Parts: sequence; structure tokens; C-alpha cells
Amino acid sequence: MALKELSSLEKCLGLKKPNKYSTQGERKVPVLQNNNGPALVGLVTIASHLVHEAKRTELLGNSAEQRAVVQQWLEYRITRLDNCSKEEVKVILKELNQYLEDKVYLAGNSFTLADTLMYYGIHHIIMNLAVQEKEKFLNVTRWFDHIQHYPGVRHHLAPVVVLRNRVYPSGQH
Amino acid sequence: MKLFVSEGNPHCVKVLAGLEVTGVKCDVQLVSHEERVVPFLNRPVLPVLLLPSGQHLFSPNAICQYLFEVVGKEASDDGNQLLEWEATELQPAVLQALHMLMLQGKSGEAGTVLKGPLGWLEQYLSKRTTPFLTEETVAVADIVLWAALYPILSNSTFEAGELPSVRGWFKRVSQVPACEAAVQRVLQGKGLDALKNFLQKQPAPHIQRRDSPS
Repeated sequence: MALKELSSLEKCLGLKKPNKYSTQGERKVPVLQNNNGPALVGLVTIASHLVHEAKRTELLGNSAEQRAVVQQWLEYRITRLDNCSKEEVKVILKELNQYLEDKVYLAGNSFTLADTLMYYGIHHIIMNLAVQEKEKFLNVTRWFDHIQHYPGVRHHLAPVVVLRNRVYPSGQH
Repeated sequence: MKLFVSEGNPHCVKVLAGLEVTGVKCDVQLVSHEERVVPFLNRPVLPVLLLPSGQHLFSPNAICQYLFEVVGKEASDDGNQLLEWEATELQPAVLQALHMLMLQGKSGEAGTVLKGPLGWLEQYLSKRTTPFLTEETVAVADIVLWAALYPILSNSTFEAGELPSVRGWFKRVSQVPACEAAVQRVLQGKGLDALKNFLQKQPAPHIQRRDSPS
């Protein structure tokens, strides 16, 4: 899972030469073998490294504040979203939905690595949401649809159909 | 800028030590564990840093990284990797071990839970030539890992086995005045007992992490 993500991220960043990855441990943590130094371990660490390599550091945030917000949502992705239980999924959707109420992207007004990795991590959840649930978590659904149409992001993942017209008029559930 | 902290919360040791070490100017407000500072989160989470932009930072590690960046110390691959390891591997084990150690009195089992992460850290440190995790001086990874391990390694009932490199590093960081001050401020002179109240308010940790279905 993480390896597919990293390979999609490489393409998204326009990196021409694909890197070699392996995984370690029960949780299959990705490892990047590096010719010039020690191996790098962990999805966020490797993804941030790739962004630097592609000289696209704006994707990590344009100011110290924005960089901190990006880091926070990257951490949220790997500590809260990954391997979460079914009950926890609802909590996460609720939190993200509230947070995204007045935001276009996770770190405010510009697209960052946090959007890409959150999109990769939440795809299987949004994919399985019923239409009513997509309506309930409207802000998450809107953000998700926006990111899946963002140039060069989707790659290995199937598009999720989001009905932009409300199928169910409100109040008839 | 405003930092919200609560008494006996080990995550607050991280950010207060970070604040002291970097010397960043910031108001600190002590609130109760139940205070919901971040409106969009489902349960009360502390510490929280309210940024000048009005955004809330609720991850202690992101807060520490931010404080170090404000004084011109930017993130490195090395540091990032240790912070990610702390958040994904060490933290779940520490929380579980703290429950066993402080609420159930099972010190042997707490040692078993932490055997893997502490063994990894011992190996990492034994290969380093610097006195601290990434540099010659205390950096963000030292603050974060030290504060995470503080309630465990400063507890005399915890049986950790031989960990010469971890113990040496832990002692060096503990002696940094900023770290001592942060501990005093969070534990309020009550010692490790101050953590009990915090732990009782936390949801019980999962005994086994679920694997993703894929």
C-alpha cells in the first residue's frame, strides 16, 4: 500500500528515476535504500525527502506556520487514519469534516503534500461510503473530489464518483 | 501566540521543554484535561499551540518542530525519521506501558511492551558519534524522544534491562536546564504520581494494533 503511494508520489512530483523501496516490520513500514547514505524509514520521512529531491518544497508549506500545519496532518494520517478501527473511522470523518468546513486544502489556501497523502490514505474509506454518508460528510467529500481531480495526483487509485447534485433533498432521511 | 498545557500530561513536557530550549516568546496557559481547546477535534487534546494565523496545532511533535524552525533550525531527514518513529512506534508502546506500570502495577509486562522500541533506540545510539541523537547539541528529536520516555525511564520500578547508550543519552538530556524546568512545571512537584490523573482520563490503549485489511 505505502509503496504504491510512494511510486505514485514520485510520478506526481515528476521524478524520472524510480527509487527502490522495501518494507520492514509487521506494519510494513517503507524503507528507501539510499546509495549516498543510510536508508530512510517511514512514509512521511520518505515522502518529504522526495519533495526535496524534486525541488518542490512549496508542497511542504510556504511559511514556518504552514509547514507545521502540513506536518501535523501528515502525522494525523499515519497515527490516526492508518490501521484505525471501524468506529474510529466515523470519528476521523467527523473531525476532518468540521476542520474542512472553511478550507479548500488541509493547510489552508494552497495544495500540499498533506492533501496528497491524506487522499491516498482515505481513498478506500471514501470509496465505500454510501451516498447518504457522502452527503453527511459533505466537506470531506468536496475536498476529496477536489484532490482526486488535482493534476497528476490520482495515479494508482480508482476515481470515486461524487454526485455533485444532491440526490436526497435535505430533511428526507 | 498561545500555548495551552495541562498538569501531569507528558506531552506537555515536550512542548514546554521545546519552548524553553528555543527561547521562543509565547503565553502559556494552564487548563484542565477536559478543556476542548481545538473546536474541530472530537475529544479534548492537549497541548495545543494557537498560531498567530488563528490555526491550532494539536500535535506535540509538530509544535516542537515549529518552535525549532522559528529559531532557524529546520527539519532534517534524520530528525524527521526519529519523530515519525516516535509517533508511530514508540508512542503507542509508551502509552500501553504507562497504563501497566502506573495504573496496574505490572512493571514486568511494561518492560516487555517496550523491549522492541528501547532495543532499537539502544542500537541507534550505540552507532552515533554525537552526544545527542542528531547533533552535538540538543535538537528537536532529543526533546521529543526524551519527553516521551521520561515517565518510563525516570521511574525506578521500571525494569528496562541493560541500556547503556539509552541511559547515557537520557541523562544528558535530563540535565539540560530547559528540560528540568519543563518537568517541574508539568509535574508540579508531585513526581510521577501527577501523571496518574492524566492517564486515567485517557482512553485505554489497544492491546494489539489492528492490521489494515489490505
